[in-house]
Amino acid sequence: MHGPDITAYVILAALLFATGALGVMLRRSPLIILLSVEIMLNSANLLLIAFARLHGREDGQVFAISVMAVAASEVVVGLGLIVAMGRRNLDLDVDKLRTLRG
Amino acid sequence: MAAASWTCLLLPLAAALAITLAGTRLSRRAAAYVSTLSTMGAFAAAVVAFAKLLGESPEARTHSTTAWTWLAAGPYHFGLTLLTDQLSIFMMLMVSGVGSLIVAYSVGYMDGEDEERRYFAYMSLFVFSMLLLVQGGNLLLLLAGWGMVGLSSYLLIGFYQERASAIAAAKKAFIMNAFGDATMALALFLLIQHTGQLDYAGVFASAPHGGTVANLIALGLLGGAVAKSAQIPLHTWLPDAMEGPTPVSALIHAATMVTAGVYLIARTHVLFENAHVIQDLAAGLGALTLLMAGLIALVQVDIKRVIAYSTMSQIGYMFVGVGVGAYSSGLFHLMTHAFFKALLFLAAGIAIHAVAGEQDIRKLAGIGKLMPQTKWVFLIGSLALVGIPPFAGFFSKDPIIASTLARGDWFGYLLFAAGIFGALLTGVYAFRLYFIVFTGEPSAFAREHFHAHHGKEGPLSMRWTVGALAVLATIGGFLQFVPFWDPLTKWLDPVVPALVDATNTQEAVASVLAVLVGAAGIATAWLIYGSKQLIAPEPVRLFEQKFYWDELYDRLFYYPTDLFTRGLYAFVEQPIIAGSLTAVAGFFGLGSEELGRAQNGLVRTYALALAGSVAVLAVVFLSVR
Amino acid sequence: MANFLVWLVWVVAAAACLSSALAVISFTNPFYSALSLIGHLASLAVLYLLLGGEFVAAGQVLVYGGAVMVMFLFVIAYLGDRSDTSPWTGGPSWQAIGAVLAGGALLVEVIVVVGLRAGGFLSHEAQIDRSFGSPEHIGQLFLTDHLLAFEVTSIVLFVAAVGGVVLGAHARQIGDDPSEVDARA
Repeated sequence: MHGPDITAYVILAALLFATGALGVMLRRSPLIILLSVEIMLNSANLLLIAFARLHGREDGQVFAISVMAVAASEVVVGLGLIVAMGRRNLDLDVDKLRTLRG
Repeated sequence: MAAASWTCLLLPLAAALAITLAGTRLSRRAAAYVSTLSTMGAFAAAVVAFAKLLGESPEARTHSTTAWTWLAAGPYHFGLTLLTDQLSIFMMLMVSGVGSLIVAYSVGYMDGEDEERRYFAYMSLFVFSMLLLVQGGNLLLLLAGWGMVGLSSYLLIGFYQERASAIAAAKKAFIMNAFGDATMALALFLLIQHTGQLDYAGVFASAPHGGTVANLIALGLLGGAVAKSAQIPLHTWLPDAMEGPTPVSALIHAATMVTAGVYLIARTHVLFENAHVIQDLAAGLGALTLLMAGLIALVQVDIKRVIAYSTMSQIGYMFVGVGVGAYSSGLFHLMTHAFFKALLFLAAGIAIHAVAGEQDIRKLAGIGKLMPQTKWVFLIGSLALVGIPPFAGFFSKDPIIASTLARGDWFGYLLFAAGIFGALLTGVYAFRLYFIVFTGEPSAFAREHFHAHHGKEGPLSMRWTVGALAVLATIGGFLQFVPFWDPLTKWLDPVVPALVDATNTQEAVASVLAVLVGAAGIATAWLIYGSKQLIAPEPVRLFEQKFYWDELYDRLFYYPTDLFTRGLYAFVEQPIIAGSLTAVAGFFGLGSEELGRAQNGLVRTYALALAGSVAVLAVVFLSVR
Repeated sequence: MANFLVWLVWVVAAAACLSSALAVISFTNPFYSALSLIGHLASLAVLYLLLGGEFVAAGQVLVYGGAVMVMFLFVIAYLGDRSDTSPWTGGPSWQAIGAVLAGGALLVEVIVVVGLRAGGFLSHEAQIDRSFGSPEHIGQLFLTDHLLAFEVTSIVLFVAAVGGVVLGAHARQIGDDPSEVDARA
């Protein structure tokens, strides 16, 4: 392979992961949070594919496809929740939804 | 012999145990009789032992009987040993004799008291303890008896439990005596260290002569003697001890317990002679006490307190006696003092009993007119106290004063002066008391509150015992008249040989001066209080306040201790001990409060917590691996 | 020459990836965020191609871009304009600091851990042939070595579908006339 070696991909994936984490922790809208979770999942996928390439085995890619499927399922459920919130005219603000307090 | 000694010792103990264990199954009267009869039985046993001793030659008159080895620790063995020799039989006879008279008196005095059984149990316990003290064959048993008489004294002073003043007085007596007990114990430790034993013969043979150790041993013993006999500086408990019932004051605080110090010095005279300075100290303290107590007695208004200070003063004479080495004189005075002091206390008790418990002499004034028999016996006691012949005190006090002259040096002359001046004071205070209380017109109070006992001045038990003591106070002195006949000195000589021997001239000088001075005192008292020709001077503040000893001790001991404990409470107890517990609790409370802030219900916070934990755990797993 | 091209493509794709991710979390309007995510997914697909995962790249575009993002956009459209007026505020005072610290820590750790763990592996790239990452190979792996994962994943998808239907249904109360339920919005 030509081009950058594996460390570049590692750094890129790490940056993406951190970005996604920041988005989850710092935004109030559940939609954005869900999108940030997608970013994190994708960063993991990127790492998987990169290492699959490094080792010359497609197992990483198989894993990545499973992750994609799970991510899709999770988005379905998440959006279903958001739609339900919207239907009840609740504020789409995770800070306002705090009955999980201990 | 052994049987008689053991009987004498154990009968009162048996009585005390019987009364205690029988409890309410024994009626109050029965308890009183059990106690009285046991004490009389002890006296009878002592007489038997005495008779046996009389029949023996002087060298053979030492009998030791050991029940079993009481304490065995390494190389040290102490037996439960009773010693019956000339000195101990003298004390046994006196303790059980005067004791039985006083216990018999109590039968009438304490009649009707709710706690009568407790009283008689304690009285029997006391008699047992005192007999143990005088009969003990080694210093360890003496110490045991010493402590137990202290205990009995505490129990009996505080007999009227509801009175706070009585409880306080009992505590005061016990604590001061505990101090003396401690110094005695220290002396015994030194003795064990240096001689390896505590029985009298062995210790006296091998104790160190002179030097610091000998001085310390004698000082320790003196500390105990001073505390028990209420001499300066451990004397403040005795006036307060008058809170107990009057027979208790008579038996414990006049006739027997307080004289234990004199007995101790006499018994361990060898140890004191090994430490001259300390023996002189004993005499000096005795002289100081006899003067101070005499001065204080001049201004007291409670009848029992006057007699208590008089006791303190007379014991001072006894200390002077044994301090200069005139042991048998000191012991003789101990005996006659027991007679006339007990007589004075018990007669006063009859008067107090007849006026519903009043003890203030101003209120009791003139009661002699209403109680003539009591007046006469009190007069006999007072004359004996001042030392007017032919009453007992004359024969015993003057030889002590003479022996101070026989000592010869400046210290002896100083003691002589103190003794003479003390005789003057004795005359004044004794007859001040007599003239105020027993002569003149009865006060309004006395008239109002006087009640006779079925037409007589008091119950029978009180009258016959006081009568017996009056007889003893009259004829008891004739046992020994030093220049002419001295059977007591001869009897005691094998055990307590005198250090000084006064010449006949010295005896005569001492006697004449003492009697003259005593008579002068009586005359003064008569002029002021009897015929009231002279106005009584203002009572000196210093004497009224008992020379401020109590205040001194308060400042010296109570106040700093109180300050110290307060300091400990403020700086150690509160912040450190209690505070640490509060801090621990507070820490947890605060901690949980702070931690609770993490549970705010926000999903974002939980996400942050997750991210943070993952970050931390990654490091942990990496470094552990 | 070819190397240079690869590098160029890589740099462009990586830059697009990173900037679109940042855009996702920064936009106040969720619609824009979703669109940025589509760009992000596309650039990731390019990167996958560079890494020889053709099937995965295709799947990424079809599944993520074609289904997931479409769902997102439909929902956002349904909900209407819910722009955050002040996106970065709210929460306890320590949330921002804590989040930045935690994110930074994770960033550093991922790099460090992978660097440490991989050890010498990082420099030995394997040789591959043209059929690396082909649907044939992926399919073979799915149906032989990773059959369990395949089946479990399908169950997960099924459950999600059921969940989606349940969540999306209108709420029914006791005593309701079934025809009226649908009328309730």
